[in-house]
Amino acid sequence: MNADALIEQGKARGSLDEHAGKALLTAYGVAVPQSVVVTSPDAVDGALATLKPPFVVKVMSPDILHKSDVGGVKVGLADAAAVVDAIRTMQAVPAIAKARVDGFLVEEMAPRGVEVVIGGVRDGDFGPMVMVGLGGIFVEVLKDVAFRICPITRVDAAEMLDELKGAKILDGARGGIKASREAIVDTLLKVGGENGLLLKHAATIREADINPLIVSERGAVAADARFILG
Amino acid sequence: MTDALREFTPLFEPKTVAVVGASTKSAALPNIFIKRIQKLGFKGPIYPIHPTAAEIDGLPAYKTLADTPEPVDYAFIAIAAAQVAPLIEAAKGRVRFAQVVSSGFGEVEEGKFLQEALIVAAKASGTRVLGPNCLGIYTPRGKITFTDNCPPEPGSIGIISQSGGLGTDIIRRGINRGLGFSGLVSVGNAADVNPNDLLEYYLADPQTQVIGMYLETAKDGRRLFNILRAAQAQKPVVILKGGRTAQGLAAAASHTGSLAGDERAWLALSAQTGCVLAETLEDFLDMLGAFQRLTPRPDHPIHRVVLFGNGGGTSVLATDFFARVGLDVIPFEAPTLGALAALKLPPGSSITNPVDCPVGTLQQDEGRVAQKILDAIYSHGAPDALVVHLNMVAFAGRTKPEVLDNLMQAVVRVQSQYPNQSHFVLVLRSDGDPEIEARKRDFRARAVALGIPVFDEMSNAGRALAALAQVERFRRARKLA
Repeated sequence: MNADALIEQGKARGSLDEHAGKALLTAYGVAVPQSVVVTSPDAVDGALATLKPPFVVKVMSPDILHKSDVGGVKVGLADAAAVVDAIRTMQAVPAIAKARVDGFLVEEMAPRGVEVVIGGVRDGDFGPMVMVGLGGIFVEVLKDVAFRICPITRVDAAEMLDELKGAKILDGARGGIKASREAIVDTLLKVGGENGLLLKHAATIREADINPLIVSERGAVAADARFILG
Repeated sequence: MTDALREFTPLFEPKTVAVVGASTKSAALPNIFIKRIQKLGFKGPIYPIHPTAAEIDGLPAYKTLADTPEPVDYAFIAIAAAQVAPLIEAAKGRVRFAQVVSSGFGEVEEGKFLQEALIVAAKASGTRVLGPNCLGIYTPRGKITFTDNCPPEPGSIGIISQSGGLGTDIIRRGINRGLGFSGLVSVGNAADVNPNDLLEYYLADPQTQVIGMYLETAKDGRRLFNILRAAQAQKPVVILKGGRTAQGLAAAASHTGSLAGDERAWLALSAQTGCVLAETLEDFLDMLGAFQRLTPRPDHPIHRVVLFGNGGGTSVLATDFFARVGLDVIPFEAPTLGALAALKLPPGSSITNPVDCPVGTLQQDEGRVAQKILDAIYSHGAPDALVVHLNMVAFAGRTKPEVLDNLMQAVVRVQSQYPNQSHFVLVLRSDGDPEIEARKRDFRARAVALGIPVFDEMSNAGRALAALAQVERFRRARKLA
C-alpha cells in the first residue's frame, strides 16, 4: 500500500497503528524489522517462515496507547511456540481482553544498538517540525532533544545531533555501543527533509514518534512508530 | 530591483505626505507629526486633511484624500477607528501607504470588524496599510519620523517592530550607543503590511546592512522561515521575540508533542537560518551595534578572544562569562608571551591572555604603549576578536584626556596594519558618577566616530560577539563565504 493510501485508511481512527506506521516509514526508506500480523494464536503456525528468531510480539489495539504498560509487548521469544504462549498470555490480561484487538504484530528483534527517538509535530506558526533525542531518560526526564523546522538539510541534521547534551553516547561513551551518526542523519532526512514524510503529509500528520529507533554502527531500525493524524 | 524594493521605496522615501487628524486649535499628535518631519528636513508637500479648516499650521488643508494636488505616498492617520475605512474609500485610490496610528481595531474584540472593513477598503483602493494601532515610521532617507531627537543621517540598521513604544526605545537608546538606522517601521496589528513584507524589503535594500525585528506573533511563520532560509544570513538578522514560552502543545498525544513549544520553534529558526535571537532589549541593541560595524568572517569564526584593559577581577569574570557564551579567552603561546615580556611592562601587568595593565602602564608614553602591546599580540597571538576594556573610574583625575585618545588611535592603527585579522570592540566601564558618565559619553562618541562598537560592560560585549560568532559558524558550516 502506498503512503497516501495508508494515511487515508488511518484517518477514521485518527492515527496509524504500529503496523501501518511502519509501512509508512518503509515507503520513505526507513528500515523497520521484518514482521507479520497474526489475528490469533492458531494463525502463528507457518506464518513466521519468513522471519528470523528471536521474535517480538506486540498487541495491536486502537484502545491501548502504551502497550508495554499493560503487558502488551513480549521480547526475546525463541520460536513459534513461545510466540503462541506470549499471545495467549496477553489475551488473558484484563486490559487487553476488554480492548478492541486488531491482531498481534510478530517481528524480528532489532539488533543491539543505541536507542534514539525521532519525532514530528506540526507547529501552529511554522508548520511541520522534526525532533531528535536519545532514548530513555534523555528524552523523558532530561528533555535533551533538538527540534528543527522542516525541511532540514544534511548540515541541519548533523547540527541537531551536535546540539544534544548526550551526543557522546552515540560515540560509545563509557564503553557503550557505538551508533552511526550517518544512519541517524539519513533517517532524519527521510522523515524531516525536503522529500521527507513530515513535509509530504504536512496536512494530515499532527504528531509522530519513532521511539525507539535502534541505531548500531551498521544502521538504524525503527522498532516502534506512532503517527497521530488530524 | 526586487518586487519588495519597488513596492516599499515610496514608503521609505515618500514624495508627498498627508496628515489626517490634525487640529486647528491644539497640538494633537498629527500636528506634532507635521512639526517633527519639518524639523527632520522633509521638503515635499504636506497635505493636512480636515473637513472644514482651510489651513492647518500654516499649510493649506483639504477636505478628503481625493482632493490633494498630488497623489499621496504616505498618509499619517490618527482619527477615530470607525472613520478610517470611510476615509480610505473616499481617497479613491490616491494613497499608496496609510499609516493608521489609531487604536480600537483588531486588538480589542469590538474593533475586529473595523479592522476587517479597513482592510477591505484598502484592498479595493490599492492602498497598503501600516498598523493599525502603531506609532509610525522613522526613515531618515525620507525625512519622516514619529519621535523626536533622531538624526536625519541614514544608518545601516533596518528595524521592524510590533510595538510602537519599544520602537521608540530602540531608536533613542540605539542612537545613544552609536546605532544608525536605515529605517524603523512600527507595524502594530500588522493587518495588511506585515513584518515579513518589510523583512523582504530590508533584505533587498542596499542601505540596510543589518536587520532587527521585535516580534510578538509570528504572522505566517512559514513565510518568515522561508525568507530567512533563502537569505542565508547574508545580512545579519537579530530577532527579539516577545512571548516565547517553553510549554509543549496543550493537548499532545505523543512524546514529541509534549516536548515541542514556541521556544523550541524559535531556537530551531535561529539554528537553521542563522538569524540571532536576543533575550532582552539590551542584548538586541548590543548585537545590532556589533553587526553594524563588524562583518562576519565565515572563513575564520571567532575562536580566540583577547581581552586587554585595566581591571584584573573584571578580566577574570569576563573570561568566565565569555566561556559561558561559547567564546574562548585562550592563554597565549610562548612566542606571544616572549614578545610581550620583551616590552618589560611594569610590575602588576599580566601578559597572558587576558592582558591586564594598571592605568600606570597604559599611561606610559601617553598611551602609546598600547600600540606596542597590541602589535605583539597581533603579530604572534592570532586573535579573532579583541576586547579593549577601560574602567573610566581608574583614569579619572590622574590622566590627561589625550591618553585615552592615544590608546584608541593605537588600536585603530594596529587594526589597519593587520586587516581582516580580528574584530575589535571597546568596553567603557563607569561607576554611574555624573562626571565619569559625562566623560564616558564623550569618549564613546569619539570611538563611535572611528567606527568602533562600544559596550557598557564585558557581558554586553560577550553576548554581542557570541552573536557574531554564531553567524560566522552558521555560514562556515554551510560553506557560504
